Amino acid sequence: MTEQSSPSAGAAELALELRGITKRFGAVVANDGVSLQLRRGEIHALLGENGAGKSTLMSVVYGMAAPDEGQILIDGAPVTVASPKDAMAHGVGMVFQHFMLIPVMTVAENLVLGAEPRKGGLLDVAAARRRTRELSERYGLRVDPDARVADISVGQQQRVEILRALDRGARILVLDEPTAVLTAQETAELTEVLRGLRAGGTSIVFITHKLNEVLDVADRVTVLRRGKTVGTIDTAGADEASLARMMVGRDVVLRIDKAPGNIDRSQAPTLELDDVHVVDDRGLPAVDGVSLEVRAGEIVAVAGIDGNGQSQLIDAIAGLRAVSSGHIRLRGRDITGCNPLEARDAGIGHIAEDRQHRGLVLDFNLSENLALSDYRRAARFGLIKPGVLVARARRLLEEFDVRDGSPGTPASSLSGGNQQKVVIAREISAEPDLLIAAQPTRGLDVGAIEFVHRRLLAERDAGRAILLFSLELDEVRSLADRILVIYEGRIVGELPPTATNEELGLMMTGGGAAGGGARTVA
Amino acid sequence: MSVTPPAGGGPEGGAAPSSTVASRLSTNLKLGGIIAPLLTVVLAFFVGGLVVLITGHNPFDTYKAIFEGTGLQWLFPWTTGADRTRAAINLQQTLILTTPLILVGLAVAYAFRAGLFNIGGQGQYAVGAIVAVWVGSSFAGMPHLLHVVLTMALATLAGAVWAGIAGLLRAATGANEVITTIMLNYIALWLGFYLFQLHGPLQNDTQPDVPISNDVVPSAKLHVFWGDPELQGLHIGIFIALAAAVVYWVLLNRSTKGYEARAVGFNPEAARYSGIKVGRTYVLVMGTCGGLAGLAGSMDILGWQFHLATNDLQASTIGFLGIAVALLGRNTALGTCLAALLFGALVNGTSVRNLDPAVFDPELAGNLTTIIQGLVILFVSADLLIVWLLTRGRRRRTAPATGGAGETIEVTA
Amino acid sequence: MSSSTTQRLAGALRPQRGAEPTPGERPPREWWMGVGGIVVAAVAFLITLPPFEVRSIVPSIVLTLVAVGLGAIAARAGHVRVGWGAIVLAIACLAGAYGATQSGVGHLEVVVSWGALCAAMLRYATPLTFAALGGLVSERSGVVNIALEGMMLMGAFFGAYGADKTDSWFLGLVIGVLAGMALAAVHAVWAVTLRSDQIVAGTALNFVALGLTGYLYIDTYGNQGTPDNLPAVPEVHLPTDSLGFIGDAISDLNLLVWLSLIAVVVVWVLVFRTARGLRLRSVGENPRAAETVGIGVYRTRYVAVIISGGLAALGGAFLSIGFVHSFTQNMTAGRGFIALAALIFGRWRPGGLLAATLLFGFSSALAQRLPEFSANLATLFQALPYVLTLIAVAGVVGRSTPPAADGVPYVREGK
Repeated sequence: MTEQSSPSAGAAELALELRGITKRFGAVVANDGVSLQLRRGEIHALLGENGAGKSTLMSVVYGMAAPDEGQILIDGAPVTVASPKDAMAHGVGMVFQHFMLIPVMTVAENLVLGAEPRKGGLLDVAAARRRTRELSERYGLRVDPDARVADISVGQQQRVEILRALDRGARILVLDEPTAVLTAQETAELTEVLRGLRAGGTSIVFITHKLNEVLDVADRVTVLRRGKTVGTIDTAGADEASLARMMVGRDVVLRIDKAPGNIDRSQAPTLELDDVHVVDDRGLPAVDGVSLEVRAGEIVAVAGIDGNGQSQLIDAIAGLRAVSSGHIRLRGRDITGCNPLEARDAGIGHIAEDRQHRGLVLDFNLSENLALSDYRRAARFGLIKPGVLVARARRLLEEFDVRDGSPGTPASSLSGGNQQKVVIAREISAEPDLLIAAQPTRGLDVGAIEFVHRRLLAERDAGRAILLFSLELDEVRSLADRILVIYEGRIVGELPPTATNEELGLMMTGGGAAGGGARTVA
Repeated sequence: MSVTPPAGGGPEGGAAPSSTVASRLSTNLKLGGIIAPLLTVVLAFFVGGLVVLITGHNPFDTYKAIFEGTGLQWLFPWTTGADRTRAAINLQQTLILTTPLILVGLAVAYAFRAGLFNIGGQGQYAVGAIVAVWVGSSFAGMPHLLHVVLTMALATLAGAVWAGIAGLLRAATGANEVITTIMLNYIALWLGFYLFQLHGPLQNDTQPDVPISNDVVPSAKLHVFWGDPELQGLHIGIFIALAAAVVYWVLLNRSTKGYEARAVGFNPEAARYSGIKVGRTYVLVMGTCGGLAGLAGSMDILGWQFHLATNDLQASTIGFLGIAVALLGRNTALGTCLAALLFGALVNGTSVRNLDPAVFDPELAGNLTTIIQGLVILFVSADLLIVWLLTRGRRRRTAPATGGAGETIEVTA
Repeated sequence: MSSSTTQRLAGALRPQRGAEPTPGERPPREWWMGVGGIVVAAVAFLITLPPFEVRSIVPSIVLTLVAVGLGAIAARAGHVRVGWGAIVLAIACLAGAYGATQSGVGHLEVVVSWGALCAAMLRYATPLTFAALGGLVSERSGVVNIALEGMMLMGAFFGAYGADKTDSWFLGLVIGVLAGMALAAVHAVWAVTLRSDQIVAGTALNFVALGLTGYLYIDTYGNQGTPDNLPAVPEVHLPTDSLGFIGDAISDLNLLVWLSLIAVVVVWVLVFRTARGLRLRSVGENPRAAETVGIGVYRTRYVAVIISGGLAALGGAFLSIGFVHSFTQNMTAGRGFIALAALIFGRWRPGGLLAATLLFGFSSALAQRLPEFSANLATLFQALPYVLTLIAVAGVVGRSTPPAADGVPYVREGK
């Protein structure tokens, strides 16, 4: 339900105003004459796709970037914000998407960092603790001053960040994608916190690309597209479709029609996981008894909030991480405990989650990158003939419609969408029996997303088994034949692609038909 | 779980993915071409000249005197007569010094390509020399070719094992190879002292008062093809070194192992994801590098030294010069050869034999070489500066399309 | 399917997850047994040395078996480090005990004169301690300082040169420290502003320092070397001669030795107990976070690196005008790197680093006295500090994590 707050009496005083902000990075114009008006005591959403310029704008506000043109006005007066220190002095506080906390230090230490209480030249630890507790009570944000930040939950970490901003006297609070890493429960708590702060007179801007949040929490929303302001509207009369249209500029096709599945049940499933347990880097259980099946010709999507064991599960199947117990079978063959090379040779392809760090070697050119999966096969007596690789690369680049690149182009000079196409080309050309696709459309523009979706569906129709991991529910529903929901390292339920966001969201946060925590074997 | 500070690097672990040593140096190569190395050399010599000037000597006279000792004038057609003869002898010396420098430079270069910093060239060279002098001074009756090949093979193996220790430690425990190879340098040094000191196990049988090894038997000495063997003419080792450079190029650019090394050097994570065994690559690369440095040791022993004294081990700085050679040569085969020639000339020109003490004290000159060597490495490492100077305004900077909120928009190299 | 050999080796060498007592948690009984094993192993060796001088090997064998047993129990329970540490130490101590019982009592008494050994240990440790403290300050701010060796060398030469020219050991120290700071300033520019690879730049500076100090040394002192009457940092005489071997050890130590111990405490307080120290550490862990609360990352790193140069130079100056009373080319002989290893061994904390430097100092002190037994073996023993460093860095004895942003150049966003 949208809540309407009354704008400040009469003169609608602006806590923060941005006029004509332009910020360039080289030839790229991240913000192009952007204007924003934040009324005092309102919650204002800043909406836009990835790359629309939202974060850059807020960096300017917080003094992390200097605008090339434009003015910032706080409480009606023009100010120069040359550094975060200036921003804090003007009462602007920011909570970043990737938390700006020191994991090895305690909550209290993190909170007072930069404005530490001192006693006789030394750090006054007791005073820091006291201050933390006072703030915690005043704003109703529960935190433990002595806990190490690395050990507390994501929601709690965010609270520390918010408290710190408030401690420095923030009257304007900027939050960058605050719910990206929160569970539904934590998101609800955050919404309450924001409403409480608003009641206390704090003005809030939060950046998001999630339409439902905007309608839920914000009073007004400003939409950015490709660095320009599209418009500012009240959320009272708006709906998701109209917001989406403003964001993207056209009617967004949320689904691609797909043909019904063509699965051969007489064969063994391509991938079988049997009560697999995997521990994370700290020795804690990340995958806690997962069993699932993927058959040739189907796409099985694993939906879940980031950090519930997906990365570890993918790593285990691909051979990048040890399995502490359980079995993984590929076409009946036990491949538990394989190393990555053996997994590939056995027939597993892996479109990695982070194409820049894991999928590609950016310093290699395209033909070398494309060769990463099968350079061994192209070699004779340990020697590689570049001509062979180049020819193959040329063929693949054309087949997968990779633009702005020839075999000799370094991978770093391609756009994100084209880079992803290269990764996909490489993985698919190795003709794997099982294709793992981890966040395959993260950070891509709409055109590239469409391409990836069409390709995955084509592979499915051609009989490949695909295991998809995605945070985007629309993508999951669009592509999957079956949806498995993962929560705290277990598959807590299976839903058909016709399931609603509510059903999925509920199961993803531990509730749902299976009663939370119980395992469902697909 | 979600607090993600930038990927940590440092002594105990691997490099952050987007800024490995190999990555930055390759950026350097592509954008700088030949100009950047030349600029680096000029700058280093300039600063060296400043040091000379400030301490009351004449840099021009100094550099001229050094140049005269290098023998490079022989390459100029206008040098004739007695000058030419003397230049020839000097050039032979220079090339004798260039030979092991090429090999040790390659030993450092290959490691850099794989993202490793091999400072252990000195220790690997020493171990190779020790084994070479031992095998070379034994087996007096063996036929020449067999003896030479056996000596070089065992020296290469010794160097490979020596470096392999560091590679294994890096692969298995993540121990930073900078520190382990430096430690291995000192261990090799003390091992050498132990072996050749008075009453040491490998000390000379006929000269009990000198801490020196036995002499290499004549059947194991490398053939001299230019100049007078009595005056330390140039031996065929130079061809072996050049051949090694060719092998290096083939290895790096045309072989599966070289491909893996480069992938690991640029992005170990992506390499791992594509099935490359990163740990094994580290061990193989270090082993190869150690082998090259060990081979260099045997070249010197069989080519002109013929024995090894504890003083030789102490004074030798070849392994360290190799670092400057590799970096100046941008870790390429051709670059390494050229850089090795430069430093070989520099060391020869500043040697006691060739530098006129009246103009400039050779000991001072030796230290000057070290300063220049350090400056070369320093300026190469300031790639950002040079690259920035050379490419300002010429290239489009692209913002990554992965616009995650809060991500830094970085200049892509 | 099998995992690769190196992975298995890695598994054997790395301590098991969750088996080490986490900070704050009470260690279980088996862990204490492992510690007991280490102590018993040490005792097995110590009883054969003066002043006990047990001549039979039998008690040592018995104690060794006990130690191995305790170590095995600890290792079996998952405490790999203390368990295997006890077992390895027990074997080493047995070998030592064997060597001690085989050699003459006279020899033993000359070599193992505890008072002199401890004094020597402190002296050898001092330059390492200063340098390692310098490394700590630098790395805690996120800058790897491989150039400690070069900074030490600068301190050694300029300390001697300064003392000679000003005829004052104090001014010599000051000049030495300033020289170290100057080199460190260059490192700071390269590491922080130019964002070059810190290890390559540090290595370069080591060569520059080596060449520069050598050059200036030859140019100034030529063949005669530094003068014999070089002003020396004074010793501190304490009337503790008769208070056992510890009293004997501390009765005539150099001022800088004491200063190094004080410096350990001072650095600890400054880095871990003050607000400035909190900021320093935050810059080393997550510089972007530090920046967002208004801490100047570049400035903090510059200051930290320059201080580290000063500290390292102090260690080098001790070598030249406090210990050996002369300067020779490359006299630091790799101590800067051993200091770095001590830092890693000590988990980037002052207390741990001191323990490590004392250990290395002890091994050097022992190496000096071993020619009593066998001149040749003594040479080999000189390699011990380097071998110990190798073991330390391999993490077999202690695997530790550096500050999270150590070695990563920081790019200020958007500017």
